[in-house]
Amino acid sequence: MRSLTNSLSKAFISNWLRLTLSAVSLTVFLTLWWLFSAYLRADWPFQGVTPSPSTADYIPYWWDVLRAVGRSFVTRPQNTGGLLMSEHILASLKRISIAFALALLSAVPLGLLMGRSRNAEALGRPLVELFRPIPPLAWVPIFLVIFKFFWGPIAIVFLGIFFPILLNVILGARSVDPVLIDAARTLGARRGTIFGKVIFPFTTPYLMTGITVGLGIGWMCIVAAEMLGAVGGGVGYYIFAANNTSQYELMYAGMVVIGMLSVLTTGIAGLIERWLYRWMGKK
Amino acid sequence: MEKKLIIIAVVIAAIVVVGGISAALLLGKESKTTGTVRYVTIAPKDMKAALAGGTIDAYIAWEPYVSDSVVGNVGDVLEWSDQIMPNHPCCVVAVSPDFLNGPNGVNLTERFLKAHIEANKWMADALAHPSGANYTALVNMAVQFTSRNATVVKAALEHVKYGYEMNQDFRNALKQFTDMYIDANMTTAAKLQDRGYSSTTDFISKYVNGSLLDAAKSVTPSSTILNPSNPIRLGYLLGDLHQLAQVVAQNTTAFGGTSMFQKYGLLVTNATGAPFASGGTEMSLGFAAGAVDIGYLGAPPAILNHMNSGVKALIIAQANSEGSGLVVKANSGIHNLEDLVNKTVATPGESSIQFLLLKIALDREGLDLKIKT
Repeated sequence: MRSLTNSLSKAFISNWLRLTLSAVSLTVFLTLWWLFSAYLRADWPFQGVTPSPSTADYIPYWWDVLRAVGRSFVTRPQNTGGLLMSEHILASLKRISIAFALALLSAVPLGLLMGRSRNAEALGRPLVELFRPIPPLAWVPIFLVIFKFFWGPIAIVFLGIFFPILLNVILGARSVDPVLIDAARTLGARRGTIFGKVIFPFTTPYLMTGITVGLGIGWMCIVAAEMLGAVGGGVGYYIFAANNTSQYELMYAGMVVIGMLSVLTTGIAGLIERWLYRWMGKK
Repeated sequence: MEKKLIIIAVVIAAIVVVGGISAALLLGKESKTTGTVRYVTIAPKDMKAALAGGTIDAYIAWEPYVSDSVVGNVGDVLEWSDQIMPNHPCCVVAVSPDFLNGPNGVNLTERFLKAHIEANKWMADALAHPSGANYTALVNMAVQFTSRNATVVKAALEHVKYGYEMNQDFRNALKQFTDMYIDANMTTAAKLQDRGYSSTTDFISKYVNGSLLDAAKSVTPSSTILNPSNPIRLGYLLGDLHQLAQVVAQNTTAFGGTSMFQKYGLLVTNATGAPFASGGTEMSLGFAAGAVDIGYLGAPPAILNHMNSGVKALIIAQANSEGSGLVVKANSGIHNLEDLVNKTVATPGESSIQFLLLKIALDREGLDLKIKT
């Protein structure tokens, strides 16, 4: 325990400059938000301007949003399914995790294959290019009927995560320096070994970029996904329902939660990255 | 250094995850009582397919989405909405205060309502004589508007009550809905005060304006168009059969080349964004954005969104009452509301009149309505 607090405090001290900079950017953002809200309401320091109350309802003060975030963990408004925010978070995390696992398991082998084999690429490319640009929202009614309540929303998030990972892995696998492969071959490495020891490690940074981008898009898809009869709620459903009844504070509260969840999952991805590097280094 | 940053991130992540999960487990545990019906939210247009595919066991929606399934032998109607609440309000005509208080706003609104009244009277007459030419003309208009075939439209028309009057029952029902919203935490008594109303009764008396409709009754036709360069921007919902009066009032072919709106000196055009997908979007993208002058929409979103965000859509006439239905899968063995226990019912959303009706019906039987988990 002491070593953990030690390392935490050390991390804070050694990163004080960057932490300060991060704090500055957040402060500037919150200040601008406050100023805009105050301007719309003609509150201090804008007492002189004409207020625009109808727009003001759309831009609440940020502290009201934070309060709404807090409240969302203890109240159960019926229009958001009568569920607590913690239940919504759990539902969304479940969808993202399953979709992420499926995307990773399918996109990595497919990407390696398409990156290393021209024939495989010729087979896969048309489908990838055909489906990649379709917005997830377009799939909502179709997936509802085909995949039903459990897999339908997951399938939409899956599409969001799958393509960035796939494309990055293809790019990574393709850009492996041929000299490295030749060298490995000269040293007597077999195909499997080349894949495991040269191509895959070389692709990992690309894979991690794909994962980071993919998770971000996955969270972007969650609102569309959870418009689809979200069983057990979800943060996207929460935003959708709050918007439907013009409860903008709640809507922002949902957005803030999605932002925090995205930071969380990206943090976990960073952890996986480190673990992967260490594992490859040791092997 | 990077390592330490990651440690910090992971510790925070772990706290949030563990906290969230344990809170959900502690607080979210719901005992599955025998008296709970489960609901999900899906768009009415997808309900028939979801019912046919077995995704849901039942749904509640407005016409023509009810007759869609009945005529297609996919579903049976368990209860029509008039069995749940006779003469319940549904769609209304609402006006933006900016338009009403703008140049010539009152005059134009009264003329609009006169055309609405006349369309309603014409429809009532057409529906009373199913063998007449007007009935055929009405069905044709509805077929085009809803993109359904004549069989579905005819079946649907039997269950919608068209009418413009706003009597005391109408106001009482809207008050009941508002009280239900406050009870269900979908809006608050504090919001009611914020908007300047002392009680729900006070709110309904101010938000439902009957004087324009009364004045409209004495409006006479006009030989000239009064707003040639500023057409009234009309909001309405996609293929909503409840809002057929505006289709009739805009039609020129059935009325010798002049629409009812034109007859009363009005130029009317579709608002940007119309037809809207739901009353909620009509309120936020139409009325709040200043894109709609006069709109047809459900009474609940007109009330609820006003409470929550301040956007005003004053209710100035009724468009229809009744005309929704609770549909169960054909031959499913569901014969009454008790049979729906632990089954999944789709609704258009918690803010819809259909959701309220379902809740009222289940409450009466001592059954709970909870989101499917």
